[in-house]
Amino acid sequence: METIEIKLKNLTKVFQAKNKEETVAVKDFDITIPAGKLVGLLGPSGCGKSTTLYMISGLLKPTQGRIFFGDTDVTDVAPEKRGIGLVFQNYALYPHMTVKQNIMFPLENIKMEKEKALERAYFYARLVGIDHLMNRKPVQLSGGQQQRVAIARALVKEPRVLLLDEPLSNLDARLRLQTREEIKRIQKETGITTIFVTHDQEEAMSISDEIVLMREGIMQQKGAPQQVYDEPGNLFVAKFLGSPPINLFEGEIKDERVMVGDAQLGRVEGKKDQDVIIGVRPEGFKIVERSSLKVKVDYVETIGRDTTLIIEKPVDPTITEHSPYIDEDHQQENDHVEDDMAVDEDMQRLQEEGSIEETAPEKKGTFRAIVDADHRIQPGDEIKLAVKPHKMFLFDKETGELV
Amino acid sequence: MLEDRHDFKAWLYLLPALILLIVFTFYPIINTFMIVFMVDYDFLYGDYTGWTLTGNIQAVLGHRQFWPAIRNTVLIAFVSVPLSVIISLFIAVWLNSIKKLQGAFQTIFFLPYVTNAIAVGLAFAVIFNRDYGLFNYMLSLFGIDPINWVAPGSPWRFSMIALLVFITWNGLAFKIMVFLSGLQSIDKQYYDAARIDSASRSRIFRKITVPLLSPMIAFITITSFIGAFKEYTAIVGMFGEQMGYRGQLITIVGLVYEALGEPYVAGSVSLAASAAIVLFFMTLLLTIFNMWVSKKRVHY
Amino acid sequence: MSTQNNETTYDTRRQIIFKRVMRYTFVYGILTFFALLVIIPFYWMILTSLMTPDKIASDIPIMFLRFRDMQFGNYYEAMFAPEAPDFLRYMGNTVLVAAISTVGTIITTILSAFAFARLQFRFKELFFLLLIATMMIPGEMFVITNFITVSRFGWVEMVDQQYYHAVLAMTLPFMTSIFYIFFLRQTFKQIPNELYYAAKVDGTKDFQYLWKIMVPIARPTIITILILNAMGTWNAYIWPNLVSTRPAYNLVSNGLREFATAIEFLPQEEYIGQQMAAAFVITFPILVVFFLLKKHIMRGVSRSGIKG
Ligand SMILES: Nc1ncnc2c1ncn2[C@@H]1O[C@H](COP(=O)(O)OP(=O)(O)OP(=O)(O)O)[C@@H](O)[C@H]1O
Ligand SMILES: [Mg+2]
Repeated sequence: METIEIKLKNLTKVFQAKNKEETVAVKDFDITIPAGKLVGLLGPSGCGKSTTLYMISGLLKPTQGRIFFGDTDVTDVAPEKRGIGLVFQNYALYPHMTVKQNIMFPLENIKMEKEKALERAYFYARLVGIDHLMNRKPVQLSGGQQQRVAIARALVKEPRVLLLDEPLSNLDARLRLQTREEIKRIQKETGITTIFVTHDQEEAMSISDEIVLMREGIMQQKGAPQQVYDEPGNLFVAKFLGSPPINLFEGEIKDERVMVGDAQLGRVEGKKDQDVIIGVRPEGFKIVERSSLKVKVDYVETIGRDTTLIIEKPVDPTITEHSPYIDEDHQQENDHVEDDMAVDEDMQRLQEEGSIEETAPEKKGTFRAIVDADHRIQPGDEIKLAVKPHKMFLFDKETGELV
Repeated sequence: MLEDRHDFKAWLYLLPALILLIVFTFYPIINTFMIVFMVDYDFLYGDYTGWTLTGNIQAVLGHRQFWPAIRNTVLIAFVSVPLSVIISLFIAVWLNSIKKLQGAFQTIFFLPYVTNAIAVGLAFAVIFNRDYGLFNYMLSLFGIDPINWVAPGSPWRFSMIALLVFITWNGLAFKIMVFLSGLQSIDKQYYDAARIDSASRSRIFRKITVPLLSPMIAFITITSFIGAFKEYTAIVGMFGEQMGYRGQLITIVGLVYEALGEPYVAGSVSLAASAAIVLFFMTLLLTIFNMWVSKKRVHY
Repeated sequence: MSTQNNETTYDTRRQIIFKRVMRYTFVYGILTFFALLVIIPFYWMILTSLMTPDKIASDIPIMFLRFRDMQFGNYYEAMFAPEAPDFLRYMGNTVLVAAISTVGTIITTILSAFAFARLQFRFKELFFLLLIATMMIPGEMFVITNFITVSRFGWVEMVDQQYYHAVLAMTLPFMTSIFYIFFLRQTFKQIPNELYYAAKVDGTKDFQYLWKIMVPIARPTIITILILNAMGTWNAYIWPNLVSTRPAYNLVSNGLREFATAIEFLPQEEYIGQQMAAAFVITFPILVVFFLLKKHIMRGVSRSGIKG
């Protein structure tokens, strides 16, 4: 199969609602997807992943920008002429057709000879491991099987590009793991340039040759998964990747020292004094006696060779409260709840009378550190932590950009 | 692409329906309105001798059958609709509360909906026959003398009662079916929750079933009223084309078809159109009134 | 409750069971009562159709007939006697009219429902609103002008109306239905968009997508529309009565009504048996269709109520 590189040049999509309200779903998207690679397009819900994919497939027309397959500008080419296979989140199998009919359907459209079409259909059915299910209807299949039928249907045209829109999100955790290996295998075997959309960072990291991070329609960072993980370009990327997530502290740079309260976490050279948000990966801590960061351990989880310490944040109040870049989902939820409360007069009255507690008691900020299981640590212990320099990232407090 | 408009293609798909709608739906609305203002409209050639603002309306208002028609129409609507809505609501609730035989009952209750109103109307006429009908026989068991319900010479009030029985009977099927499907779509959780709160059955009915069903009840009531205003076939089925003894069961729609039945008589098409307009405004008034009420009463 | 002794609990349970039995007796009783009310007219129709005039006229109505007392001659008289209305012919007419109008309706309905459900076009919302508003207008507004229209087409000649003219007049105005368009559009809209996108990516043309994907998926709804429309024609009375000028062009309802009118001033009991036989003959096919396709019909009707 011919492999091909995809170039997106300043791709922009603006949706216009009836009331003239505009939504910028994708903005100035500018990337190259190397031939024969599997690229994970990653970002939170509503960030424009599907929109990007639909533009590449030709189902949506870009407001601005161009799309190239190889050297050909396909921006104005109809979807069916682009040579793409598309797999949807809900698989979009035709419910009234058998598996075989589903897989054959694209071939019938191009009026392929029956024998040849059958042969092809069986070839790809075998590739994805569903050739024994050819006469079933989609409802008679498990989620994973349906998903493979969808992939077979996308591949059977032998497209130059395979686009997958959150293809695993309808599967249970176990099947998801298994199927993503499968997709990786099929992609390797066919060598087809593949874009894989997901909002699950772990999924993207494990399967992709490269990942592209998106946020609110804007590309944030692109690179090999490990590289992006190790060198996040901004706070959003740092936060989005990694499980357990990165720890964040409000701190400052003072005389080239990185300070959280009175404790020094490390040194930076050539940076002027400023307030910063400090991100430290959980595995970025080590226990060092002479460190100045003294903390109290709340809780200890030991799993296998690692011990996770849940530790009280050294500085109060925690930064989670006001920074626009932190815990925005959580923040939104709270806003929402307050909205609801505002209309409920009974609730207000009861609160005033003190019959209902206004909010649950504030949970103290904690962070996580992963250390060797060799350290025998009990909850309540006071320990001293140091930070591995390459696991610590400093971000501008206002913009979230890397300092 | 997806969000592109396909004006030409879309209208092409709509074309067959559109042509038929223009000829047989949109144009007639306008034309019927216009006929109301034409003097001596000739239905074959479209000739008319002049314009009149209220002449045809006055003619219909002054028609000797007009006020009886209004009276009958309104009476039919205001008796048969509430009656059939309430009865069918109860039947649906009872039906919904059983498991065994539910399907069988459902099938039986649905029968009147599919069967021919003329054929069933004739059967009702037999049941209401003065001399050997089942109904008079039942009454005779209570010592009531035979009543002439449908045959020539029948007093208006008896004919009307017989007709209302038939119309109510005929209207149950559709409503039972719709209410039942509405009830079945109400989440069982509400009932479970209410039962745990130890609400009594009648309280559950008043506080949960009726409010949750209220949009549907409102909708059914509106459409049933509109339907009852147009009652015609049932009357013809039971009483014949002259609509009861000396036309005593005439309705507005009856007036329309009576006039339309002799289109060559000068002015009769205009009369039909005027009667139809009266019906149109009655319907409109009712729709607006019902919307207003349901906006106030219907929950959510 | 938990602290009460066994005896009380026992009593309460018995009460509960007693209440439940009472309730079910009441519910089944009242449902049976109403079911009887619904059944009686049909039963009476069949019963009367099998009786001789003297049985019909008996002082105490006969409620049951033994098989050997059944008078099947009424059916023969109603259907085949030389002076009886030609019900076989009326049935033929009705089947023809139903078939033509149903095929026409389903085609126009599928095409328009597709446009409304799937395509973007100028004035879509406006047109849609217009259609909804039209549904509120009583049919008599149309009937008057439609009668004029088909008369001007020359389809309602009083003297020598041709058969095909009568058929055209009876079918053409009913070859589209706003209600069915809405009904089907609703079903079409429930088909996930992704199916359409997938088909587009695979190069499926809109028309192909409509016939190969949407129509098969919406088949239950389409069948419902077919049945409801055909049944509507079978039971139609007003319009055929207006536009057919010869008895030979009658549909079943008109034939039945004419029969009833013709005997109105004759000794009724002589003919009522035949009349009920005829009524049952035209009711019977509907009953058969109903029992065969109950599911489709009932679903269509329940859905039509929810629409509001
Ligand atoms: N047809 C449309 N009209 C208007 N706005 C749209 C349309 N489609 C998408 N949007 C908006 O564009 C933004 C991006 O949507 P998109 O579907 O691409 O998100 P996504 O990243 O795929 O999210 P998810 O992970 O939830 O699928 C959203 O804010 C969405 O509301
Ligand atoms: Mg998406």
